[in-house]
Amino acid sequence: MQISAIDLEVVKASLSGIVQEMQNSLFRTGFSTIIRESQDASCALMNTRGEIIAQHVVLPLHIGAFPACTAAVLKEYSGAIAEGDAFIINHPYEGGSPHAPDMCVLTPVFFEGTLFGFCGSIAHKGDIGGPVPGSCSGQAREIFNEGLHLPAVRYQTRHQPNTDVERLIAANSRTPELVLGDMRGQLGSCRLGETRLNELLTKYGRAKVEACCARLFELGEAKVRAAIAEWADGRYEAERFVDDDGVDIGKPVRIHVVAEKKGDRLHFDLTGSADQTKGPANIRPPLVRATIAYCLISMIDPRMYVSSGLLNAYSFDAREGSVVNPCFPAPVNTYNPTITALVDAIFEAMAPIVPHQIRADGSGSRSIIIGGRTTTTGKGYVQYEIIGGGAGARPSKDGVSGTCMNQSNAKIAPVEIIESEFPTRMLRFELIRDSAGPGHHRGGLGIRREYVNLAPARFSIRSTKHVIPPNGFAGGAPGRTGDILINPGHKDEKRLPTRYADYPLKDGDVFRLDTPGGGGYGDALTREPERVLADVREGVVSREAAERNYGVVVDANLTAVDQAATAKRRNDMKAKG
Amino acid sequence: MSRYRVTVDTGGTFSDFVYLAEATGEVSITKVASTPDDPSRAILQGIETLIARGVSASDIGFFCHGTTVGTNALLEGKGVKTGLLVTEGFRGIYPVAEQARPYGPAIFDVMYDKPQMLVPQSLTGEVAERVDFRGRVLRELDEAALRTTVRGLKGNGIESIAVCLLFSFLHPQHEARVREIIAEEMPGCSISLSSEVLPQIREYYRLSTTVINAYLQPILARYIAQLDRRLSEAGITSRQKYVMQSNGGMATFDGAATRAVTTVLSGPAGGVTAGAYACRMTGLQNLITFDMGGTSCDVALIKDGEPSLAGRGKIEGRDLAVPMMDINTVSAGGGTIARVDRFRALEVGPQSAGAIPGPACYGRGGTEPTITDCNLVLGLLSADNFLGGRMTLDAAKAREAVERVAKPLGMSIEDAAEGIIRIIDVKMEEAIKAISTMRGHDLRDFMLLAFGGAGPLHAGRIARDLGMAGIVVPLYPGVYSAIGLLMSDVKHDYVQSRMTPMSELTPEDVNALFGRLTQQAMDDLAADGFAADQIRVERALDLRYAGQGYEITLPCPAGTMTAAGLADLRKSFDVQHRSMFGHSAPEEPVEVVSYRVRGVGLVPPVELPKFKRAGSTLADAQRETRKVRFDGKTIDCPVYQREKLDVGLVVSGPAVLDQFDCTTVLCPGQVARVDEWKNLIVTTE
Repeated sequence: MQISAIDLEVVKASLSGIVQEMQNSLFRTGFSTIIRESQDASCALMNTRGEIIAQHVVLPLHIGAFPACTAAVLKEYSGAIAEGDAFIINHPYEGGSPHAPDMCVLTPVFFEGTLFGFCGSIAHKGDIGGPVPGSCSGQAREIFNEGLHLPAVRYQTRHQPNTDVERLIAANSRTPELVLGDMRGQLGSCRLGETRLNELLTKYGRAKVEACCARLFELGEAKVRAAIAEWADGRYEAERFVDDDGVDIGKPVRIHVVAEKKGDRLHFDLTGSADQTKGPANIRPPLVRATIAYCLISMIDPRMYVSSGLLNAYSFDAREGSVVNPCFPAPVNTYNPTITALVDAIFEAMAPIVPHQIRADGSGSRSIIIGGRTTTTGKGYVQYEIIGGGAGARPSKDGVSGTCMNQSNAKIAPVEIIESEFPTRMLRFELIRDSAGPGHHRGGLGIRREYVNLAPARFSIRSTKHVIPPNGFAGGAPGRTGDILINPGHKDEKRLPTRYADYPLKDGDVFRLDTPGGGGYGDALTREPERVLADVREGVVSREAAERNYGVVVDANLTAVDQAATAKRRNDMKAKG
Repeated sequence: MSRYRVTVDTGGTFSDFVYLAEATGEVSITKVASTPDDPSRAILQGIETLIARGVSASDIGFFCHGTTVGTNALLEGKGVKTGLLVTEGFRGIYPVAEQARPYGPAIFDVMYDKPQMLVPQSLTGEVAERVDFRGRVLRELDEAALRTTVRGLKGNGIESIAVCLLFSFLHPQHEARVREIIAEEMPGCSISLSSEVLPQIREYYRLSTTVINAYLQPILARYIAQLDRRLSEAGITSRQKYVMQSNGGMATFDGAATRAVTTVLSGPAGGVTAGAYACRMTGLQNLITFDMGGTSCDVALIKDGEPSLAGRGKIEGRDLAVPMMDINTVSAGGGTIARVDRFRALEVGPQSAGAIPGPACYGRGGTEPTITDCNLVLGLLSADNFLGGRMTLDAAKAREAVERVAKPLGMSIEDAAEGIIRIIDVKMEEAIKAISTMRGHDLRDFMLLAFGGAGPLHAGRIARDLGMAGIVVPLYPGVYSAIGLLMSDVKHDYVQSRMTPMSELTPEDVNALFGRLTQQAMDDLAADGFAADQIRVERALDLRYAGQGYEITLPCPAGTMTAAGLADLRKSFDVQHRSMFGHSAPEEPVEVVSYRVRGVGLVPPVELPKFKRAGSTLADAQRETRKVRFDGKTIDCPVYQREKLDVGLVVSGPAVLDQFDCTTVLCPGQVARVDEWKNLIVTTE
């Protein structure tokens, strides 16, 4: 069917409106801290093949997850899907959830009796069972240690909930009310999308809407290919290492990227990446696909309309049995550090040909999970926080401090909410001076959060870059590594590894999380001394570090740069190389 | 002696004035070029215009002003040098902010930066003290250390200090003592306490709001003092001098000078307030206000005569958590540009031609097609009757511009123009759905109240597409915000967070807390000059299911709260939740998060004048008949002069109705009736 440029824009604006509406509904009605304060959830519309026709992008990884989850439902229920059905799936191998807590709810959309597509939402659940509160054990050795896994199953029939499934989930979670409450919110948001999509189909007709969707795919792919065509042909390579997999402590995990670019074709060869890990550092191919999509959108046009079309513009090889294409039942729960390493490696590989829209390595993000039972009611609770750090420096400016980056975009949980709801008290919440990687443009600063625990609880952390720091680009220096200490400065001080599950916290134990700073960009010795002085005055850089890393000598009152001493110091440093 | 009300809404280009003679209800309007360096000059000019008509300055008994002084200072980074004091160890709250990027392109944009902090870390001090989540002091305030910190800040040229301590909304004493110490150490320094500006849970939003207040307060105080002086010099002695706030109510000059933050998002509030008045006047209870100007379009919902409020908003990425009119803004205006990319995909907006160069048809050098150019190409605008004929639009330039889009798309100029308009209309329709259908409202119950330079031009089609009940175009759509300033009451909002499960809540607790907030409201309104019988107090609770992150504000019945009243609230929460979000959980525990009180100082209402039928006919008002394009067809369409339309006349669409600064378009099938206030009430046959 022929459609005009105008039909296309009209339908596109309407589809955007629908997913926006679904998203708002979900954020407002989520029950758990994760949806409500951190907003770790997103919504999309899919066609009958499971391709994304519209997504309100909150979390870029879900670009890959939705199609894989929908495909699983189609595979299992094809021909038996009816109006009023709803499906759920959280299985990383059967579907595309990054890990078990990411529960996907899908509802079919029927128009005039025939299936048109699906409304979907994926939202992180506070706890879906497994050995540790929050379900994600940094020491899991197979997915059976990672909580309750549901393949594609029916959650509603004729708009009536399948209470068997609900009871089954409830019996497997430490926080059943929150999990079911969130799922109810997800379902509400999907049903809203169904209504709106039906209105759209009524207004423009199925044929026209489908033709518009097809055109949106074509355009998505064409835009990406056109941009790729403008880059220089060649073979570009980079690698990164994840601290370890949580099981083989101290053994870094290699992520290796070769980007082969010819004409409008771009292929990523990841076969040089490490074998699949014993611990949960593995990521499934839908996440690899989404990670590459994220990088391309960033490099090409952040305003791009997101549909499955752009996924067709590139290809990749992920060797079966490797960390980026693990075999069942390899554990996957701590996927973020691996994705972070993949993003960093792709940006570095592409830097020679896309020099402006990239950035140095950042802190990545991490979660801390504290689980316990309240002393008053005995009810289980899971305090789940997602914390960013310093982003990498850019070719034209410094990195951002205290932020989530790349695939991660969670809000930080307010101190006053945490203390009101959980038996914990925060002692400190600051940016960390001198954590930024020096450079002509420096990285962003990492975050310090320090807590005192007020009741016995179980502590887990899934972090990254506590051993291997975020790299600088173009001669910039690395950022500071992250750290997690129990009772810092006391006799019983203990450092936990980057990922660790189920540390028993006593009443009164203190834990301090430092997140890494971003890598720098360019030679620190070329940074304008006045900018270094400004950083010293703002507490970003200490006076000592200004001299040590930037060769800039600042007077004791922090009012001026000693120009002569600076020139000499910089010359000496250059001479030493 | 006739008393006059004068209102002025200061905009970027024009300051709009409305004068109302209270005795006769006679209204007149004027526009004066704004004077951004000192907006009070344009205001004086407008007042002088009135005086030149023979009105004595002493007869001006009421003055209300919609100002952008605070907003502009914030947007341009021209607030005062400000310091910040936070609880020791918690410097990170401000720079980390939400930690997340805003949704949209920023998610992918590696070049994205957070908005620059209004207070640098070098001017941020820490206060040794700590309060817990129950409001109990864990660590006493270390006054000696505080003095040292304050002395350290002194000498940096700081004019204002924001104070935001953890849990100060439960225990304001520490912040109060901090103020005393700052006052002793830095006499004359402006001080904003978070426990006064916004005693509400979630420290970052409270801090950000308090910092914005501190940053702007001296600016606004100086501006208001200067304006007050100028008004006094001009002979205006009335005490009834007000500034519009973002909550849709006014504050006295003195009040606004101490809570600058309440004016920051007040720009569109006048129009919505006028909309609420339109409800009372026309008897239409449910309206969606639709204010479309040159670059953006603001929409807001009024249900049962009451505008919806939001508790939080952003301005240029900075968070502000004061009660404000719940206004949804999209970049869609007369100046919005259409472009074709190299894939022959058409994009409409968000770029705008702005005032300079403006649409191509303005002849000021613009070459890209804008919404205004498209409207002109379609015959919906009159080239020779723009701004009452003061400006001629260049139709040839408009066609040339639209052709830049039409050609690569292989379309006729008219088809392209119509298509572009359809796209921008859909974007505005989505904005309307976002505040209506998304929150459980049925658009068939709502009329679209159109104003702003471009609103009435698009409203007919949009209301038709959305299946709304119709549209209302007020008599003066071009200065409607200033009209709204005539109708406002003084409104002060008070909030107090205290999280309690409803199951543990006693009516006594609720009454005690509300009692305290109510007393505060009464005292403040008494200071504003209101007697007890001129004061109305409204109370509401923010509720959520335990563990949920978003609260719903539910109004409380007047009078003393009872156990039965609380039980009713618990039930209406489920109902409200279901209507807004499509599901509820009656078995789940509910908790109270915040208590809200609004004090309203009732200003004697004004009536806009009614007109008598003069006896003229439709033919008397018709200017011409010309070709106009509707829904792909070019048809002969009558064009009327709105000012000449007599009360009671009925105009059938298609029709174009020109007036001084605005054009209304009726689609085929729509019928406009001129009511006795000369509003156009448009419905579908």
